[in-house]
Formats: sequence, structure tokens, C-alpha cells
Amino acid sequence: MSHPLRALARRLVGVRRTPTYYLPWLTRPGLECTLVLHNVEARFKPGYNEGPFPAAVAQHDADGRLVQSYAVVVADSTDVIEVPLIPTEAGCGIVTVRGARLHSDLYVTLSDGDAYTATHGRGEFVEAYPPWTRALLTVAGAGLALVGRTLGTFARDQYVYLGAESRSHVLLMNLSNVVNRVRVTPHQDGGRLSSRLVAIPPMGTHLLDVASLARAPARGTAVLRLRLEGNAWFNLYLVGAGPRDLLGPLSLMHVK
Amino acid sequence: MSSNLSALLSATFYVPGYEHLVELIHQRDELARRRLASLDLAVYDPSGALLASSAVDPRAEILDLGAVVTAMADPPPRVMVTFDARYDAGVFPYRPHHYGYLHRSQSSDPSLYYAVNAVLGGVPDRVGATNLNNFETYVLRRHPSAARYSVLLGCLARWAPVEAQVFAHYGTERVLHEVTLQPRQHVEVPLEPERGGHRVDRVELKSLYRLASYVVGRRDGSDDLVLFDHLFTYFK
Repeated sequence: MSHPLRALARRLVGVRRTPTYYLPWLTRPGLECTLVLHNVEARFKPGYNEGPFPAAVAQHDADGRLVQSYAVVVADSTDVIEVPLIPTEAGCGIVTVRGARLHSDLYVTLSDGDAYTATHGRGEFVEAYPPWTRALLTVAGAGLALVGRTLGTFARDQYVYLGAESRSHVLLMNLSNVVNRVRVTPHQDGGRLSSRLVAIPPMGTHLLDVASLARAPARGTAVLRLRLEGNAWFNLYLVGAGPRDLLGPLSLMHVK
Repeated sequence: MSSNLSALLSATFYVPGYEHLVELIHQRDELARRRLASLDLAVYDPSGALLASSAVDPRAEILDLGAVVTAMADPPPRVMVTFDARYDAGVFPYRPHHYGYLHRSQSSDPSLYYAVNAVLGGVPDRVGATNLNNFETYVLRRHPSAARYSVLLGCLARWAPVEAQVFAHYGTERVLHEVTLQPRQHVEVPLEPERGGHRVDRVELKSLYRLASYVVGRRDGSDDLVLFDHLFTYFK
């Protein structure tokens, strides 16, 4: 759909887009998740480069509920604040960072106590649908879900990797205030594998286990291409794993 | 093929022992509407000498860098691999991206996934710039500390050498590493882990021409990669 048509469609359904900086988070026993906040970028902006830079951090659980709010202050443009996130039973979710003058690339890190992996978040938006649109999406989504389908308003394509020694899972992030039914269709070696439908609560996440989509080869790494379609705005991060899979050290990585 | 194509030059580094797969098109769609017009691959040793080059079928999806490099006779411990792509701006309104998947054989560490660094032809970003016009930054955590960091740099300029400065910050102290790279040369600049009781907490790169650049972290003991990431350009 062209940009003008998309803009018109958004007006018709009454959706509002709020600029939001967000990151994924992930915790496991023995794996700590810490945000790294800074404003290095500000030192090049006269008039904006003097701190302090206050920010509000909101940690949402996989079901979208707020786990914890954090009020942080980055003192100046070379200050770095670390925010350890609270582990939950679900162990994954979205964290948002709001700060009037905080636009730098912020990091999320996963540490096993010795070393850490890192990636950055995204300055994008969260979508809010009005009540009547939410009701419509609920009814239409439930009906389509009966036949394993969704309203494919947004689509993404993403490669994932599956091997005996390493793999990449997918952390799906619902960046809206409606239940997002995301249909995942894997392709491998030119063939289409069976699809699955994942219902993600508002501001919730779903960790999609790549091993549930196909069988790992005995040697080497298989590459699958996923087609993902959702009824509302969503994004994803890859979760890198080693031979101990989700029980071992992990990495997070953004996509475009 | 259209006569009005855009160009994209990207580069990464390959070291033996890693499974290193590169997506020729990140977010390839089922019908392959998002595809390159052409892609040329070249492999260089640290001195900038060309080791291999070939045209890659733009319909291909994944390139196994390990297979490319191990097919060469006696490859050096680190090579730079460049991706010279042509694409239709109507297909990629911003630009295409290559992404990479990395994992060391028998490593207990997780796989890493990264965006292949785009150098956009290795020419100055701005004509008439009077200052150093590429300034990139990366922030590092002070703890945990069982890892060593470095910066991988590759020069994709076609004719001119590139002078670069790598600053490592340790609290209020900073240490300068000066580097001059001839076309297609590449180097790894190790960062001292600690100075004056302070861990390295930030690294900055300044150069007159845009270099291929990655911040690299290796776990102490095993030397396995735990970080392979691009720096951030805040000022250019």
C-alpha cells in the first residue's frame, strides 16, 4: 500500500502514533539484563548539550503489564546510567524510555556475570487505536483466527538460523494497544512450512522458539525465511543462542 | 537492468573458525521483489592486496563467507570482504542492507547477528567539509569486565589513504591511537582494557573518509566474540 493510502487508512481507523523509544528485555536464571542510558549525542548540539537529562523508563512484561517504572537522570552528555531490569517469570518484554532530550542510541545488555552482549533500541512509535477500532479488530481477529489467519496490516520478512550449536529465536513485540495476532509462515529450501498464529497482548511480547518451526540439521546451520503478518504495528528482535540454547548465554539483535 | 542504479559498498571481516553467513538482502520477501541488480564480492588481506573477487548471483539469499575464504589457498588470519551492490532506488527507497550471522564452532557463547557496515563508496560524506567529517562513538559497560575490546577498521577509499584517530576513554583520561590505512587495508586496533584503575568506557573514531568499522568484544580465556557491532555516527 502506498504511503498516502496508508495515511488515509490510519485516519479512517483513528489510530494515533506516539513517538516512543523502545528496547527489548530478556532475563533467564544466571542472565542479567541491564539498560545502558546515555546522551553522548547531545554534546554536539549547542543549546541542548547541558544536562541533566531526566528520563522515564517503563518495563513491560510479556503480557504487556507494567513491571516497574524507573525515574533516571543522565547528569551530562558523558554520563552513563545503568538500569538493571527486574526478572519475571515470563522473562521477556518491552521497555520504553521517554525523555525530552534523550534521543541517542540506548543499549540493552545481557550479562552472564563475566561478559555481556549488547544491542540498541529503536526510536519509532507506539500505535493507539480508539475503542471502536479495537472492538472491530477483536471481532474480526477472533473470526480469522479460527481459520489460522490474521488481518495482515503489517508484514515483515526475516531470516532465522537453526543449528545444533547455535540458533536465533525471534522476540515478537506488539507495539500497540490492541491484541496483535501475528501469523508466522516459515519457508525453507523454497518450500513453505506450516504457519502458526501468535496472539500478543497490547505492549506484550512473544518469544518464538525457532526449533518449534523446523528440525535442526545434524551439521551446520539451516536458514529459514519467515513471513510475519500482524493486524497492528509490531517489530522484532533476534535472540542469539549457543549450544545450551535458552539456558545459556544469549544475545539480542535489532533488525531494520 | 535499469541505467539509473544506485550503489552501495559494504564490508565485513572474516576470521577462521566462525560460521559466518551473510544475508544478501535483509528482509527478502517471498517473491524476491526486494533484490539487488548486481553484487560483486572481493576479499582483501590486511595489506590491502586483493585475494579473490567474483560476481554473486543477486538471486542468491545467503552467502557462506567461510566457504568463500576456505576455498582460497592459504588465507590470512583476517580478511576484509567487500560487497559492491547496485540497486534500483525504486525497490529500496532508503537502501538495501546486508546482515550477518556469526557463531564460533564449539563456542559456548551465543550466536551474534549484525548489520554489515555500509561505507557508501568510501568517498567523503560532504564535499567542502573543513573538519574531520566522520565521528563515530560506542559506549561500553565498565562491568562485567571479563572481555577485551578492539576496533576493526577497513579502508574502502579507492585511491587516497585515510588517516583515522581512535580514542579510548577511561574515566576522564583518553588515549589516542592514530591509524593510516591505504586503500583496502584493514587493521584491528586493540583497546587497553584498563588505565589508572578505570575500565575502557567509550571509544570514538574520527576519520576524514568513512571507514568500515566495528567494535569487537572477545571473552577472556576463550577469545570468543561477544560483541560485533557498528559504532554510531552522531556528527558528520
